[in-house]
Amino acid sequence: MDFFLSYFILASIFVIVGLSTNLLVGVAGIFSVSQAAVFGVGAYTVGYLLSNDVMGFLPALVLAGALCLLLNVLVTLPSLRVSGDYFVVTSFGIQLLATAAFTNWDGITGGASGLAGIPPADLFGWSVDNSYKTLALTGVIMCIACLGFALIMRSPFGRLLLAIREDELAVAAAGRNVLRAKVEAAGLAGVFAGVAGGLYAVYLSFIDPSTFDLNASVLLLTMVVLGGARTLAGSIVGPFVVLALPQALAMIDLPTTVAASARQGIYGALLIAFMLFRPQGLMGRRL
Amino acid sequence: MTEAAPYLQVSGMSKTFGGLKALNDCSFAIDSGKIICLVGPNGAGKTTVFNAVTGFLRLDEGTMTFRGRSLNGSRPPQVVKVGIARTFQNLRLFEDLTALENVASAVPRQFGGEPFVALFRPLHTARGQARTRERAREILTDVGLAAHANTYVRQLSYGEQKLLCIARVLATGAELLLLDEPTSGLSGDALEKVIALLHRLRSEGRSQLVVEHNTRVVQQIADEVLFLHQGHLLAQGSVASIMADPHLAEIYFGGAL
Amino acid sequence: MLLLQLLINGLVTGCALGVIAISFSLAYSTTRIFHVAHAGVYTLAGYVAFALAGLGVPDMVALLAAMAVCALVGALIQSELYARLARRRATHLGVLIASLGVLAVIQNLLSGVFTPNIRPFASAWRGRTLSFGGVTLTQVQLVTLVVCAAVYPAALLFTRRTVLGKQIRAVASNPFLAEITRLEPQKTYIIVMAIASAMVAIPGVLVALDFGVQPYDGTTVLLTATIAVIAGGVGSLTGAFLMAVLISVLQNLSLLVISGEWSVGVTFLIFLIFMLFRPRGLFTRR
Repeated sequence: MDFFLSYFILASIFVIVGLSTNLLVGVAGIFSVSQAAVFGVGAYTVGYLLSNDVMGFLPALVLAGALCLLLNVLVTLPSLRVSGDYFVVTSFGIQLLATAAFTNWDGITGGASGLAGIPPADLFGWSVDNSYKTLALTGVIMCIACLGFALIMRSPFGRLLLAIREDELAVAAAGRNVLRAKVEAAGLAGVFAGVAGGLYAVYLSFIDPSTFDLNASVLLLTMVVLGGARTLAGSIVGPFVVLALPQALAMIDLPTTVAASARQGIYGALLIAFMLFRPQGLMGRRL
Repeated sequence: MTEAAPYLQVSGMSKTFGGLKALNDCSFAIDSGKIICLVGPNGAGKTTVFNAVTGFLRLDEGTMTFRGRSLNGSRPPQVVKVGIARTFQNLRLFEDLTALENVASAVPRQFGGEPFVALFRPLHTARGQARTRERAREILTDVGLAAHANTYVRQLSYGEQKLLCIARVLATGAELLLLDEPTSGLSGDALEKVIALLHRLRSEGRSQLVVEHNTRVVQQIADEVLFLHQGHLLAQGSVASIMADPHLAEIYFGGAL
Repeated sequence: MLLLQLLINGLVTGCALGVIAISFSLAYSTTRIFHVAHAGVYTLAGYVAFALAGLGVPDMVALLAAMAVCALVGALIQSELYARLARRRATHLGVLIASLGVLAVIQNLLSGVFTPNIRPFASAWRGRTLSFGGVTLTQVQLVTLVVCAAVYPAALLFTRRTVLGKQIRAVASNPFLAEITRLEPQKTYIIVMAIASAMVAIPGVLVALDFGVQPYDGTTVLLTATIAVIAGGVGSLTGAFLMAVLISVLQNLSLLVISGEWSVGVTFLIFLIFMLFRPRGLFTRR
């Protein structure tokens, strides 16, 4: 039972990050390997604020979301003005820089040994201190996030992003500001990722830099690619399926270090396979 | 014949691409309220003129003004706001969207065009969207595509797609339309429909600069003709005078007209 | 003294980085694909040489073998993956993601087989050093400097003087035109990828000889190399090489003031400065 609870809690958190990645990569078409870094910023923000009793859970979550929005906007703005490939470099750079920051900024992040003993979330006196309550919390926030995503996609803003994905020049010729829309999408993606990070921190109560490295970004991309880009269904299916993979792997008896590499290698193989044979993923539109 | 300031004026436009001089000291001025055809052999720089005026291209040299306002350095969305919009030779319609959605994408000032507005004011956004769709429907009716509002672009005929391009550019509200080969690939009924539409737009006051290869069409729609060759304006005048010039005919056709 | 030592170290790693940069530049300016998997090929080279050296193969032979293997792998990535994606009209984003997938597969395969830890070569001559003027250089560093510095003019000669080189440049400057003449761009892409991959194997092996093999290091190295390519101006081999040397020297000199873990930050800062003030790089082709 415990196992299922943990699976669903993690899956719901990753759905929220998945929506973020889907917005950025699937809808706005911006190649990003720095999603895990943003996720990490959200996690460390809430972790630090709660551990040092600076503020309550909900304000901390809002702050994390705002911080990640700002981060994404600052990162996307200069690089999108130049050609798209330059953003690949920026994205890698942000991810690697973030990992360096998480590992070396001992004072705030606890360095390589991470941040331990993050207190459980406290909502107006209701302490989220067991798995059932956590599932309730993450489940509710996941539903809110899904609602938000659906609203966005149906709005003129969402349609604008889809049109940009198809033909940027035609959108510019129709009088719309392409750059601004992309930066706004990135900012919004930041909010989702930051909130998810905050939830992650209070659920696990311990976070360390290795959780938010390049490998994690590859995992997030795999979820979007497998689930499917641009659709709500894809953002939900992706994390649930990909998170079940390690369990399938556990059936084969592998030493733990090889298991980690095997998992990551499989994610890579999935990326290749889906791009070659099913770019729309299981339930999405063509990436 | 006297105007306060020329409507659209370009002067000394030059642009070189990797060894090829696409525009070579190109200058001309046009008045409002007319259909002006831009003709010339392939590679004369006609589409390059469009690209430069609408901000898709940075000129090496030259100035462009519209109603006295400089266009140099403006990006495409800004040029649209100023009042000039263009279509593309290769259509560039959003194939995964319906005809209505294609036109709606160009309607300016849509409520809910920013993410936080869309999120926190969903009712307002929905109402705004209904208004946008109404406007788009009006425009589709104007061009004669009302019946196909909910058809996906890939399911439209080529003639209908060409009409849709014009509908989309009309949706921007621009007063000067730059149409890049609006009749190419069309014949018979579809061709007549486009010609009729262009005439009607002119009578409604929309100025048009049209790149056109079909001399019959030019004769039917043009109030004035600009003849471009090797990135430079060779002649500007009435249809009759341009058509009658044997020198121009030779450049254009290599012989007979 | 320390400054000179850091400078020399910077020159050595700069030349190695320079070769990585020009090999990436060759592939990128021709195929227009941001081939992140190149980092995997670079890493693979080190491991091929490592495995062979472990079997007693002399280092020189191991280097040539690594070059051959990498050439094959690079060619296969182009012909079996990128070409297929192009035929299926995959989006630019799709190709990027596929390339990332290849990188993940290569890195993790190596990690699984050889463990994720740094493993040094057992070569006898690795440790031998030379000293002069207060500066110490290992023999490996010397070889790296000489060999990599020689690759740069060789690459220039190749692209400017040989028929194949000129063909590659023609395809790179106008793939559409190449398609309708008889230049067969697809074949050219495979050849370019093979050459670029063989080229990147050189620093791949030499750096591994110096520091040991490690599965995940290639990403940061490639990132730095691509920054050199962009800052130097895409399409300019000279720009790429010179910027790579400059960045390496700056990175090493920065060790005087900041700790090594932030050197990524230095490189990234250089990149951001270029993006803000001179996005087309210093030596753009046109």
